[in-house]
Amino acid sequence: MSKPVKANKRWIWQLILLASPLLAILISLSAGSLDLSWRELFAILLQGPGTDIEQVIIWQIRFPRALLAGLVGAALSLSGVTFQAVLRNPLADPYLLGVSGGAALGAVTALTCGFQSPIVIPLAAFVGALTALLLVYLVAQAHTCSTHTLILSGVMVGSLAAALLLFLLWRAPADATRQAIFWLAGNLSLADPDWLSWGWLWVGIGFLLLWSQSLNLDLLTQGEETAADLGLQVGSTRLILFVLAGALTACAVALAGLVGFVGLVIPHICRHLWGPGHRLLLPFSALLGSSFLIIADAIARSLYAPAEIPVGVVTAILGAPFFLYLLRRKGGDL
Amino acid sequence: MIQINNLSFSFAASEIFNGLNFNVTRGEILSIIGPNGCGKSTLLRLLRGSLKAQAGEILWENIPVGQIPAREMACKVAVVPQSSAISFPYKVRDLVAMGRYPHRKNLLSFQDKADLQAIEQALVMTDILPLAERPVTQLSGGELQRVLLARALAQNGSVLFLDEATSHLDIDHRIELTELLIRLNQEQQTTIVQISHDLDLAAAISQRILMLTEHGNIAAIGSPEKVMTAANLQRVFRVDVKVDSNPFTGAPQIVPLINNSTHQLNGLKIHLICGGGSGKNLLRRLHLAKAVVTAGPLNRGDSDESVATVLNIPVAQELPFSPFAEDTLVVTEKLIEKTGVLVITTQWWGAGNLPCLDLAERAIQQGTPVYLLAQQQDQDYTDGKAWGRIQQLQQRGAKAIRNEEHLLDALSNLTTSI
Repeated sequence: MSKPVKANKRWIWQLILLASPLLAILISLSAGSLDLSWRELFAILLQGPGTDIEQVIIWQIRFPRALLAGLVGAALSLSGVTFQAVLRNPLADPYLLGVSGGAALGAVTALTCGFQSPIVIPLAAFVGALTALLLVYLVAQAHTCSTHTLILSGVMVGSLAAALLLFLLWRAPADATRQAIFWLAGNLSLADPDWLSWGWLWVGIGFLLLWSQSLNLDLLTQGEETAADLGLQVGSTRLILFVLAGALTACAVALAGLVGFVGLVIPHICRHLWGPGHRLLLPFSALLGSSFLIIADAIARSLYAPAEIPVGVVTAILGAPFFLYLLRRKGGDL
Repeated sequence: MIQINNLSFSFAASEIFNGLNFNVTRGEILSIIGPNGCGKSTLLRLLRGSLKAQAGEILWENIPVGQIPAREMACKVAVVPQSSAISFPYKVRDLVAMGRYPHRKNLLSFQDKADLQAIEQALVMTDILPLAERPVTQLSGGELQRVLLARALAQNGSVLFLDEATSHLDIDHRIELTELLIRLNQEQQTTIVQISHDLDLAAAISQRILMLTEHGNIAAIGSPEKVMTAANLQRVFRVDVKVDSNPFTGAPQIVPLINNSTHQLNGLKIHLICGGGSGKNLLRRLHLAKAVVTAGPLNRGDSDESVATVLNIPVAQELPFSPFAEDTLVVTEKLIEKTGVLVITTQWWGAGNLPCLDLAERAIQQGTPVYLLAQQQDQDYTDGKAWGRIQQLQQRGAKAIRNEEHLLDALSNLTTSI
């Protein structure tokens, strides 16, 4: 009788997960320097947007902020799932292929050149991330573009970017350095709210395209040769997936800096809960990833309110112990 | 069905194939054998187009392999890989379902009736239905191999490539899978090309065998009887084996001569009087210890005689089930005259082989050492005549030896003292 119980449990988990972003948004709305009881919060929500100070805070500050966190969490989880499958490596994360280094280099270059605008920095990060990805792919493609070459060239491009970054920081004025570090640790307060809808559009399209590749992702987890034997055009499919995951990561990094851990840990948890089939894994990872980051951001905003700690710190402190717990229970067989 | 013309292929600096020519006929089972590293797996990859040859052509029904799209190819040929490291815990059923990939109309379509049926059938045929809901990461090597075969079966191709697909299987599943392959071949005319290290099994099921040398040349191609000869095996694998035919199926069967002997009888000449299976183990052991062995008299068809023939041991032969005639005894005596040592195994004594003891007596007279291996009074069916002779031999200097181990000890002492 153990099986049906398990199946039941799975359904309950799935329902909880479907509802989790809503719950997370509610928690996020209630968190911050302005203390609101749940009753007050619901009252304001029912009133809708308005000019009251509370209405403004909830609808124009906290709500977009929660949506931004959700967007970044979803993008990172989706690209984590993709990279782990394409590279067949459970340790792969969205930043493995030099994306983080490239984005950081772009953003910090912009910062040290004196640009403070919330428009320029995300753009610079985005361009940096895509440049790094392109470089990695070109290097790897000169050879057979195997997963090993991809990972190695990713690590190399990443370290090159890191070295240049350190050089820039060493030369930069103290003020810019402090801001850069804040950005590097992952931060949701820097993005311009105008970017939000564009970001959601970007991630939405990215998700749909990725989702259409679910079966191909399943096949790629079996290795290039097997995938090809089963009729998959490995080269072009991998390029498509690589570009999609890279674009999602670049978007997340541009909006929120380097938020660590979400892209590594969320895919693992989801695979543990729903198995490795990508038709379910992709949407569920997106949901869980956004919920996780929304809550992490709420914690980041409220712990030292009105000051904020970088959200990357919170994700790692929440995520690492949970990951270790899973690892201990399942013995590495995640 | 598949034509390979003048195929050449090399990896970076090392040349694997140079001008390979052969073909695969529709509906046959072709086994590829050859030493490690001779390019068997590479050849299978070239055949299905996952590697590109530098020169020559591979034609599938006259279409060059490079012009067949991957998906169409996957509908034609299914591959069972050597083994693959599985790191994602897909359920067995889901992994098998991946075999239906080339048949999907588009990426969004779900499994239709034909898919489900093919998957179910593949699960049943490979005996993994009970494992269907288990994650593949929890399976044993043999179970995983059956899952990979099931995935290939779900592909429903008319050609099956197996790269040592039975290597991780225990004997019952190995036999079962072999039978399954034969059934697929016979009932659905599936063409099977397999790489095998189990030469006996390859010989038993294949219509043709392709034997490659370590430099990737064709050493032989053709029927198992033609290809599996001691000379070919010696040339290609550099092993000393004997090829016998399987007593039940008639297929060529390899008898490896594994030297587990701790004794070295370098060139010591030994004649063995045996019969009825009493000498076959000793014949083998003496051969492995590098003694120069002769035997007889033996009736043709006696199991000792078969072993001696396989080992190329000269035998004084008698017609089946006949008492030893004078001529045969003379031949035997000539063999004994040339030998250094005479050994008489533990055998049943009757009127037929009683004259052998006379031969032993003459050997003693000529100064040849004679060893009597564990003679038993209750195996004497000559009313005590044989037993009396044996006692007599012992008095004249024949040595009674308790078992084969002691005999080999005594013989190696003899060698060193010479």
